[in-house]
Amino acid sequence: MSSPAAALEVRRLSKRFPPRPGQSESPWVLSDLSFCVGDSEFLTIVGPSGSGKTTLLNILSQVDGASGGEMLFRGESINLASAALNPGLNCHIGYVTQDDNLLPWQTLIDNVTFPLKLQGRLNQESMARMQGLLKAVNLIGFDHYYPHELSGGMRKRASLIRTLAYDPPIILMDEPFGAVDAQTRTQLQQDLLRLWNLGRKTIVFVTHDIGEAIALGDRVLVLSRSPARVIYEHHVAIPRPRDLSNFYKLEGFGDMYETVRKELL
Amino acid sequence: MNLRLAIDRLILLAVFLGLWQACSMGFGTHWFSSPIGTTLRFGELSLNGELLYHMNYTAQAAVYGFLVGGIPGLLLPFMLRKQAVLNAILDPYFAGGYGVPKLALAPLFVLWFGIDLEPKIALVASIVFFLVFFSTMAGVQAVNPQYVNMARVAGASERDIARHIVWPGAIPYAFAGFRIAAPYSIGAAVVGELISSNRGLGYLIQAGATDFDTTTVFVSLATLTLIVVVINIGVAHFERWLLRWRPRTGAGTSWVAGA
Repeated sequence: MSSPAAALEVRRLSKRFPPRPGQSESPWVLSDLSFCVGDSEFLTIVGPSGSGKTTLLNILSQVDGASGGEMLFRGESINLASAALNPGLNCHIGYVTQDDNLLPWQTLIDNVTFPLKLQGRLNQESMARMQGLLKAVNLIGFDHYYPHELSGGMRKRASLIRTLAYDPPIILMDEPFGAVDAQTRTQLQQDLLRLWNLGRKTIVFVTHDIGEAIALGDRVLVLSRSPARVIYEHHVAIPRPRDLSNFYKLEGFGDMYETVRKELL
Repeated sequence: MNLRLAIDRLILLAVFLGLWQACSMGFGTHWFSSPIGTTLRFGELSLNGELLYHMNYTAQAAVYGFLVGGIPGLLLPFMLRKQAVLNAILDPYFAGGYGVPKLALAPLFVLWFGIDLEPKIALVASIVFFLVFFSTMAGVQAVNPQYVNMARVAGASERDIARHIVWPGAIPYAFAGFRIAAPYSIGAAVVGELISSNRGLGYLIQAGATDFDTTTVFVSLATLTLIVVVINIGVAHFERWLLRWRPRTGAGTSWVAGA
């Protein structure tokens, strides 16, 4: 599955957690998992609940270590089972988690500029870019609101542009729209595609929602039940820009949905 | 605060004063000073500056003790955060230190530090330290690991994490400690004075009781209560300002506790 234009390649990833007290060995969560994602590709990974999707992204973002396996980024091999983890790979890999993780003691504007501040990159140029992003996701005028004063959808959008604002070449997304209502969700998906169109980053988007995986992705990988491996791969031929308000009517969507659904059984 | 609530509170105050007066008349003013006598003496001692003189002494012991105990209690948990081994070694000693009844240490402090302000400061500090330390420690340990991971991925150093994630997250816990410790610091200062002093509200209580002068005792008690209430309001307001990022919950009648 390797290709010369790969932005990131994952090789033979495996993971099991330390055994619990009284247990001799814990089961494998990931086993021999390999894939690659092309430059500017929107890759979606769909897997059953509890199949280790979050574990996979935690390992790729290096907030958690693997039991074995490596990752290739810009010709460099990174040992993911190493004891010395480098979370975010020097700000090259962004991670939008399931929970928005906005800091409750910071206002919206402080939250979304938090990574820029940490990286010492908060200047007029990045601030102008931030204003553009806030505008693109309809968050203008809420700068000085605290997270608890924002709606669930607004918080999701804030957490999205917090990562987009510092422009990491690769962004991992872990079911970022899981906990919102269907209508907001479609809006957020639409926002995400629009933002992606502006910058064309490399995205690895994990979800258990087959429809979402097909509607958003250039390519869909299907994970097995645990221990998770990549068992199927589909190229999504639906042309862009895609209208997500009724994506189930898009050409070829129904057939692929059925196929993936059966693969996941 | 609505009018109804204010009226109900005034009624309760009247009932309380009535009961107090009844007790005074029943037992005799030698044993139980009357509200009127107490109020008059309060005015008298306020005007001649005696009350302020004693109040000042007690407040000094409480404030210095609060700082001497509270600042290490606040900072130590942050220093121990990354020192798992040291923390594990010290843990039973902190638990033991917390278990020692501090008031029982008062005679020892007198022996070591004499009878001026120092032993009272030591007594207050020994109580405040543990209250602030344990609640701040709970806050440091309750830090949301997801926030830490988010910050790490975004390029945060350990220093950044301590400053932007752990510190603000632990502040509400530290304040829970301050709120408990503030009245204790006044109480401990008074106990210190009861044991040995020639100044302070504790001394005034002691002197009053020895002379069968319950009016002076009651004046001192009322003054102490006032001080604690004022401190509580101050802490609650400061906390509300500092934690303005938190959603407001409850009806807000518990302003004394500052919740």
